[in-house]
Amino acid sequence: MGFLTLDGLTKRYGEAAAVSDVSLGVAKGEFISLLGPSGCGKTTTLQMIAGLVEPSAGRITLDGRDITHEKPDRRGLGIVFQSYALFPHMTVAQNVSFGLEMRKVPRAERDTRVKQALALVQLAALADRYPRQLSGGQRQRVAVARALVIDPPVLLLDEPLSNLDAKLREEMQFELRGIQRRVGTTTIMVTHDQSEALSMSDRVVVMEQGRIMQVDAPYRLYESPATPFISTFVGKMNRLPGVWRQGGIEAGGRLLPCDGAGLAEGAAAVLAIRPEKIGLTAPGGGVIDGCIKARFFLGSAWFFTVETSAGLVGVSLPNAGAEPACEGEAVGLAWSSASAKAGRPEGVLSA
Amino acid sequence: MSRMHRNGPIALLFHTLVVGFVLAPLVVICLVAFTPANTLTLPTTQVSLRWFAAVFEHPDFVASFLNSLWVAAIAATIAVVLAVAAGLALDRYDFRGRAALNALFLSPLMIPHLVLGVALLRLFALLGATGSLVWLTAGHIVVVAPYVLRLVLAALSGLDRSAEQAAVTLGASSWIVFRRITVPMILPGITGGWLLAFINSFDELTMSIFITSPATVTLPVRMYMYATESIDPMMAAVSALMIAVTAAAMLLLDRIFGLDKILVGQG
Ligand SMILES: Nc1ncnc2c1ncn2[C@@H]1O[C@H](COP(=O)(O)OP(=O)(O)O)[C@@H](O)[C@H]1O
Ligand SMILES: [Mg+2]
Repeated sequence: MGFLTLDGLTKRYGEAAAVSDVSLGVAKGEFISLLGPSGCGKTTTLQMIAGLVEPSAGRITLDGRDITHEKPDRRGLGIVFQSYALFPHMTVAQNVSFGLEMRKVPRAERDTRVKQALALVQLAALADRYPRQLSGGQRQRVAVARALVIDPPVLLLDEPLSNLDAKLREEMQFELRGIQRRVGTTTIMVTHDQSEALSMSDRVVVMEQGRIMQVDAPYRLYESPATPFISTFVGKMNRLPGVWRQGGIEAGGRLLPCDGAGLAEGAAAVLAIRPEKIGLTAPGGGVIDGCIKARFFLGSAWFFTVETSAGLVGVSLPNAGAEPACEGEAVGLAWSSASAKAGRPEGVLSA
Repeated sequence: MSRMHRNGPIALLFHTLVVGFVLAPLVVICLVAFTPANTLTLPTTQVSLRWFAAVFEHPDFVASFLNSLWVAAIAATIAVVLAVAAGLALDRYDFRGRAALNALFLSPLMIPHLVLGVALLRLFALLGATGSLVWLTAGHIVVVAPYVLRLVLAALSGLDRSAEQAAVTLGASSWIVFRRITVPMILPGITGGWLLAFINSFDELTMSIFITSPATVTLPVRMYMYATESIDPMMAAVSALMIAVTAAAMLLLDRIFGLDKILVGQG
């Protein structure tokens, strides 16, 4: 199976299960994100892999070896903590060198490897600084260098970017992914930020209340979310309730075209469509008419909320350089039936 | 807009008065120590070191001074070792009787030293253990350990445990984590605790009166005995020396760690 596999991994605290029956195979060199709202068990899962939390049930294997009950200091995995957890009384170089010292790597080799690791994260010039003399982004990179210098088979990242401001976070997303590509280390990253998970990972694992809900490539996760929860947690999603008729959903007195395999005629259903799949037309030119209630300028895009007889609909348009429709204006909404999907109200729903 | 001043003139005056009130007696006693006269007077026309010389001509004072230094240094050091062990147990583990243990460790702070002195006197007499420096030091450990424990516990509760976890995942054994990560990270608490313990032991009088023997008289007890008979400027000279020792310890620690960090908490 995978290079790293989790098999029925479970952690209970008293009655409550923080993680339930998590099974996952991770291929060598893969970048996996564990995505989910706060408290859904991401950190607990990561710490079980690291050996810092003892699983209540289940198995972890690494490269065919069962490591479920191996001590954390023997696993040799690299971990970057949310708080970075740098050693405040050691310089950057001493921090990075610590893991090599523990491995009894000879002095000369240690120095070269520390230099290489610091060069990798572009911190060679700051080797003699103390953590308190570094900015958040620099600390973050020290933590990455410290984890990578020991050549871990797996790198575990717990919300590595959540303490950085927005601009830096974006830069570090690319940088972290770049480093991971160059080094090729199998990586599992925990995050509650869907855009971070989508932009960085080979595959995203969505968790909710301690369980895995979906494992997919970012693009497929976005286009085919397995549950209504995922469809709104990953990106934005319009959900318009109505009744399934041949070729679309009847809602607000209109037949809204969409894809609805497996639905019975007359059944209650929900139409799901992403805001960016909808276009604005003149009134009467689309599938339904409405009135623009609010308009937000996001820089690269405009976001509208449009009041229609079927409900409020969010529409996102790329910024084409000219000012689009204003608030209060009457518009038509247009979409192709392939970009909207219908499903049962409570059940599995995709876009 | 003009900036608000954090310290108005009244606050400034208040601070000056408080500091003056605290420092004035110390300054006066240090000045008196340099008097050439036979009474406790401020030197006016000339300064003299005769009373300092007098101290060193009293072998019993010198012996007591050394006694006190030893007792304070050893009591503070042992108290630190005990407090770190107890602190780790209290901070890290939830066991039955944890609260009771915490209270027990801190109780010497609440019990009057007088009571403690009488109790230890009885205990040592029963054990046949009177008159030895070892037992005197043991008494001092009881008195000073709570100070260290307080500071160690404060330092431990402010410690980021994930640094220890990071060290573990990098391959460090528990002992190495303790020695290379935990201890350095709580070092301000440890040294601050040692300093407070040293100072408290060095001028402990009430309990020591009961449990010193003629061979183990500490400096405060010696001063007390001497002062009940006569008050002369030699007392001022001894006091000045005590202040000097304490100040030296403070300065040394300040140079090494930064005192505000130790006394106010982790920086
Ligand atoms: N040591 C613990 N004792 C009790 N409950 C815990 C402990 N650690 C985590 N939990 C609970 O387990 C759940 C998952 O926590 P966590 O894995 O930290 O979530 P996440 O990282 O996804 O935000 C939470 O409900 C949390 O309260
Ligand atoms: Mg977490």
